[in-house]
Amino acid sequence: MFGTGYGVRAMLQIFMWIALAGSWNLISGLTGYVSFGHVAFFGAGAYTGAILVAKAGWPWLAAALAGGVGACAVALVIGYPCLRLKGPYFAIAMLGLNEVLRALVSYFEGLTGGGSGLSLPTLHATVPIYYAMAATAAGVTLLTYAIITSRFGLRLMTIREDELAAEAMGIDTARHKLYAFLISAVGPGIAGALAARDQGYIEPISVFPLAMTITMIVMVLFGGKGTVWGPVLGAVVLFVAQELVWARFPYVHQLLFGAIIVGVVLLMPRGVLGILQLRYRLPRTI
Amino acid sequence: MPAPVLEVEGLHKHFGGVAAVDGVSLSLTAGRIYGLIGPNGSGKTTLFNCITGVERRDAGRVFLNGERIDGLRPWRIALRGIGRTFQIIRVFPELTALENLLVVTRGHLEEARSRAVELLRFVRLDRLQDEYAGNLSYGQQKLVEFARMLMRDPTLVLLDEPAAGVNRTLLNDLLEAVTQLRDRGKTVLLVEHDMKVVMGLCETVFVLDHGEKIAEGPPGAIQANERVIEAYFGR
Repeated sequence: MFGTGYGVRAMLQIFMWIALAGSWNLISGLTGYVSFGHVAFFGAGAYTGAILVAKAGWPWLAAALAGGVGACAVALVIGYPCLRLKGPYFAIAMLGLNEVLRALVSYFEGLTGGGSGLSLPTLHATVPIYYAMAATAAGVTLLTYAIITSRFGLRLMTIREDELAAEAMGIDTARHKLYAFLISAVGPGIAGALAARDQGYIEPISVFPLAMTITMIVMVLFGGKGTVWGPVLGAVVLFVAQELVWARFPYVHQLLFGAIIVGVVLLMPRGVLGILQLRYRLPRTI
Repeated sequence: MPAPVLEVEGLHKHFGGVAAVDGVSLSLTAGRIYGLIGPNGSGKTTLFNCITGVERRDAGRVFLNGERIDGLRPWRIALRGIGRTFQIIRVFPELTALENLLVVTRGHLEEARSRAVELLRFVRLDRLQDEYAGNLSYGQQKLVEFARMLMRDPTLVLLDEPAAGVNRTLLNDLLEAVTQLRDRGKTVLLVEHDMKVVMGLCETVFVLDHGEKIAEGPPGAIQANERVIEAYFGR
């Protein structure tokens, strides 16, 4: 199965979800600022990469890196005002950002193709893209490890634990939040550009869907927010579950996802690894 | 007369129509322990919050070692040398006791770690250093907060009700630690309801009532002050 087209495609998807869930974890799992529009960075990266490939003839790998930079630039512009908002207000602002970006790419038809989408020149590169996506997933996970084992990571967690106390202890919370936010935009940006290249065609509704943000959140909550391997576990388990259920019962899988959200929030708010960590006193790095 | 460590000039803070702090001025000299007392709602914690930048003052000026600090962000004020604890404990519950201390440090990690371990030993929590702070008892959390506040070696220490909810043994440890701070040249300002603590420890006591400073002086004189008695017990 691994060598077949389906195997490569499924693994590509799993790597993409690891990169997305891991990135959401960096801002929301560590600082507690729940981003409800994180797919905006995926979409920003997808359009940056697709435009560079289609209009400027960039090689796809360079365009993918540019997608990361583009998403990061969006995060810089939006993070400055939005990270002053707390709790539900930040979540809603991020949701709004996603809608604004979707409207913007629909409006600038000359560059983006507007609502009718943007086609990329034909290219048979699924396997190289697959490796690039794997590298992105590994990069996000390694970065998470490096951050969680550092004092920078601990300072991000103090924002989640008690932002006011963190400030009073001399921690520049605004700057820390912004750094975490910028870092969390890079992975989705690269993943978006790679996915755009792989699919060969993008349109506003295909790269800015709210459902993708929800899926990232569910994966992280299931695996364990604020942990290194939680997003990986969540991405693998839920993707596989979704594929299995989707293949057999196409209408049930939405229901299944809803049930998982409710179950996780009610029964294990820390997720699988969070519970294991507490119960068996495992180190933070699992 | 040495230059004051902290100088507060005409500080005002209103919440809606309520004047929480109403034109308070104080001056603290280095190496002394000061008390801040007053009935509930007299503005003690608000005054702390205005000094540390957690609340924005409406008017007035605050100087630390001669430099203006009012209007700065709380973290900048903390870096200038003010450490504080909170009336309601604010440890980082999902960080271990050791991490609670490490997180406020910069620079060399091993140095920071040995200082953190040393401070946890000082408050007798070294055996619990890898326990999540949220799992510790109330009194132990209070000690973690106290040790965390000391990590940056502040010149001025603000303690909001250090004795509240703490048993006798622990309290004596805490008071001993406060005295040691003073002996090392630090300045301490503490809010406290336990009069025994205030009278035994403080050299000068400020009294707030309805946001105004109604008295200032050595503990003995304060206890005999008519306005203070009136504020506490009514006319």
